[in-house]
Amino acid sequence: MRHMLRFATATAILCAGLSASALAEELVVGAFGGSFADNVKACHVAAFEKATGATVSLKLGNSSQFAAAIRATAGKPDMDVVFIDNSLAAQTQGEKLNEKLDRSKLSHAGDVIPTAWGRDDSYVVAMVSATALVYNPKLVKTPPTSWLDLSDPQYAGKYAIGDISGTSGLQYFLALNKAKGGTLENVDPGIEAIKPIAKGSAVLYTQADQLLALFERGEIVIAPWYPDRAGVAIDKGLSLAVAYPKEGAVGILPAVMIPKGTTKSDLAHKFVDQVLSAQGQGCFSERAYIGAVNSKVQLSDKLKAIVPNGESLDKAWFIDPDVIAKNVPTWTRRWQREVAR
Amino acid sequence: MMKTRTGLMLIAPLALVLAGFFLVPVLMLLPTSFGEYLPGSGMTPGVWTLENYTRIVTDDYYLEVIWRTLGLGLFVTLACLVLGYPLAYLIARGPQSWRVPLILLVVFPMMLNLVVRSFGWIALLTNRGLVNNLLIDLGLISTPLKLMFNLTGLMIGLTHIYLPFMVLMLVAAIQNVPRDVESAAATLGSSRIHVFTSVTLPLSAPGILAGSILVFVLTISALVTPRMLGGPTYKVMATVIYDEYMQLLDWPSGSALSFTLTFMAIAVIWLSSRLTKRWAGMA
Repeated sequence: MRHMLRFATATAILCAGLSASALAEELVVGAFGGSFADNVKACHVAAFEKATGATVSLKLGNSSQFAAAIRATAGKPDMDVVFIDNSLAAQTQGEKLNEKLDRSKLSHAGDVIPTAWGRDDSYVVAMVSATALVYNPKLVKTPPTSWLDLSDPQYAGKYAIGDISGTSGLQYFLALNKAKGGTLENVDPGIEAIKPIAKGSAVLYTQADQLLALFERGEIVIAPWYPDRAGVAIDKGLSLAVAYPKEGAVGILPAVMIPKGTTKSDLAHKFVDQVLSAQGQGCFSERAYIGAVNSKVQLSDKLKAIVPNGESLDKAWFIDPDVIAKNVPTWTRRWQREVAR
Repeated sequence: MMKTRTGLMLIAPLALVLAGFFLVPVLMLLPTSFGEYLPGSGMTPGVWTLENYTRIVTDDYYLEVIWRTLGLGLFVTLACLVLGYPLAYLIARGPQSWRVPLILLVVFPMMLNLVVRSFGWIALLTNRGLVNNLLIDLGLISTPLKLMFNLTGLMIGLTHIYLPFMVLMLVAAIQNVPRDVESAAATLGSSRIHVFTSVTLPLSAPGILAGSILVFVLTISALVTPRMLGGPTYKVMATVIYDEYMQLLDWPSGSALSFTLTFMAIAVIWLSSRLTKRWAGMA
């Protein structure tokens, strides 16, 4: 009898568990790893799950991995919402793999700055960051003012730039190219200018957080890097400061999109709505040191010293994502052959 | 002799798995490798081109990467052979009580994840790594040696990782060499060195060949270690293929490179097995 009771209880618990998970819909969200995923959980997932009763499972990766996955599963995506860099969202849009966002299903659409919307509403920018100069104020007495400062002999062997496979590497290259008189159609000046700089770089970094150890050990004192990463590192006690070059920082616009063919379009829209909400955006900004696209969000003073805003935002260069998508392979191949060889 | 039917039945499970999960997917890539990729809009449906292949043979960057990959495969194989043979000989012919501990020592590194082992090499080989710091502290060098992002780093890392495969293959082969034949040669007046070079070494050729092919193929297709120790400046075929697929999203180009790598591997295996057979008198 006791056995039967135990068995019955076990079955009941199991059934309850199964039915609960069958009832709660699961939304798969592609997000970048590390602190980004933690912040998505804290700012968006918790509120979303509470409001809808659905559960969220995060799939971690980077933008180009997500673009590759969306193409490979074309029409039958294994993700319902994806965080992805706007140039790669433009690429998947070019391949007709994005579902058009229905603004009528997004209650916060009206609060979002108009420039955040991708072509044909195929994606929406979710946050604003940049590539700027990050330096160690203990070792660099006068803050850098220009992208060209990396060639300054005082930094010889004490700086690092990113490989072109990372956003900061690509953007620093394009910023240098512009400063040297190049255009997006002609990057010859940039290639010539970056050759000696790449050669003298302590390392061509491929992972953003590679720089943490280099800054910490004093191997480098300056690098084109992300203010958001710097902000988080400063919180952890690293001696770092952000300088916005006079030529203007280069804007980074991570976006959210819904891959075409998802069976949970309504739920996916609700998640995007959460991402765009003033509450979600404010939370993410504070935690990640990143700019918001919801006009109702006010940045604290602590954030204003780091996040692109006001003058630094006005001067920032936002490169057309379609132009980036079309040219990245060509630029990368030239970089591999002429710069990193 | 085993009947053909029994033989077929025995290989059927593995053959089916290989066909279903390896051969078919690989063949599905073949059309992709003749496709055209337009950045920004993706693959153009219905357009076929040979350009992905012609680019590989005309572009001196790809050629450099191909030669580098083959050279690396050759060097790592030779290094594993030279380092592994004495060890395998000791395991096969040394004191009985040493055998198990030695084999355990050989296998032990394989219990550790590849990423961890490669990361360990980074900690040792970087500019401010253990090796350079030690040499500088000892006053042997004044500026750090470049041990990473070049051939040296990849050689060290890959040789370490693939040495166990070579040793295990060689142990089995050396154990198969009949001691009687060696004794016969010695009785007929051969010196110990002569016995080794003219009897033991050729008779262990199948093991040398199997180990070398295994290490060579693993080396030229290795991705994780070259990515970590070669970095963005020192690329091999596998890392270039990864970049084409995952970063540039140019699948046609990546597929063409993949097929080139596969054919190179098959050609090298075919050639080396013919040469070895001739040397060992098996042909």
